[in-house]
Amino acid sequence: MDDDERALSPQEMLRLIEQQETAAAERFVPDPVPHFLAWGVAWLAGFGALFLHYGLSGRPYAPVPAWAALTVLWVLMAAALVVSAATMWQLRSPVRGPSQERGMMYGLSWALGFLGVWTAGIRFGQQLPEAETGLLWAGLSMMTVAMLYVAGGAVWHERTMFLFGTGMAVLNAAGVMAGPGWHALLMAAGGGGGSIVAGLLLRRARRR
Amino acid sequence: MTSGLDPVIHAPARLRVVATLNALREGDTVTFPGLRDLLGMTAGNLSVHLGKLEDAGYVEITKTHRGRTPVTYVALTRRGRLAFEDYTAEIRSLLDAASPPADG
Repeated sequence: MDDDERALSPQEMLRLIEQQETAAAERFVPDPVPHFLAWGVAWLAGFGALFLHYGLSGRPYAPVPAWAALTVLWVLMAAALVVSAATMWQLRSPVRGPSQERGMMYGLSWALGFLGVWTAGIRFGQQLPEAETGLLWAGLSMMTVAMLYVAGGAVWHERTMFLFGTGMAVLNAAGVMAGPGWHALLMAAGGGGGSIVAGLLLRRARRR
Repeated sequence: MTSGLDPVIHAPARLRVVATLNALREGDTVTFPGLRDLLGMTAGNLSVHLGKLEDAGYVEITKTHRGRTPVTYVALTRRGRLAFEDYTAEIRSLLDAASPPADG
């Protein structure tokens, strides 16, 4: 009879269970921390630059051109998208079943949401002044992001995700009403800062 | 003594297999190579243990094809999940009985 047929003490068997459960959870459930941190940095830096460009009273706080601020935002968001996609693919490798289907449907809902953002932004953006066009794009995008976080929280029963989405939805609505400068400030601090804080809290919870 | 423990699960290798499969969400399955990598076992060794778990009705093995390559998926049955829960509860109660909670 080989070694792995011989039982160990209850203590050692329990330790074996705990070790194996941790290893399996790490493989089967994707680590959300890089996702939260990447999007947090993108929004903090991108909307932070836009905030300096607009200012709260219509006067810029720093000589940041709009194109430069938008470039920072879009490039960092594209990088964050790569991080998120990599997280999802890692999950999908050895597991088949309802979880995989759920992930695919959820991924598709992001594409559909942003299809709506782009079409509305292009159609109505042409008829607005520059600052309002920027706010239209930013407001629609962040509303879509907020709703998808709320929905994701419901799908996976993840409270952090749900609460973060709820907070973003409220801040986004308030920012759209208050104007481009306030919107950029709220998205940088609340969205960017909030995402980084959520990421750090999740990391601590995972290492517990 | 530990004689009341489920002998199918009460072997380190099979305990690890069951604990891993229990981490899957209900309805999900894992590919045989994915499971093998996660456990660090040889394919032959894993097959033997899966066979014993299948005989006990704890594990469901599905063989299918993806294009021309055969794929094997493994999942815990409802009975397997229950057996693992019972086993874990029994191990914990054994440990509680062995060491009274003096370290508050």
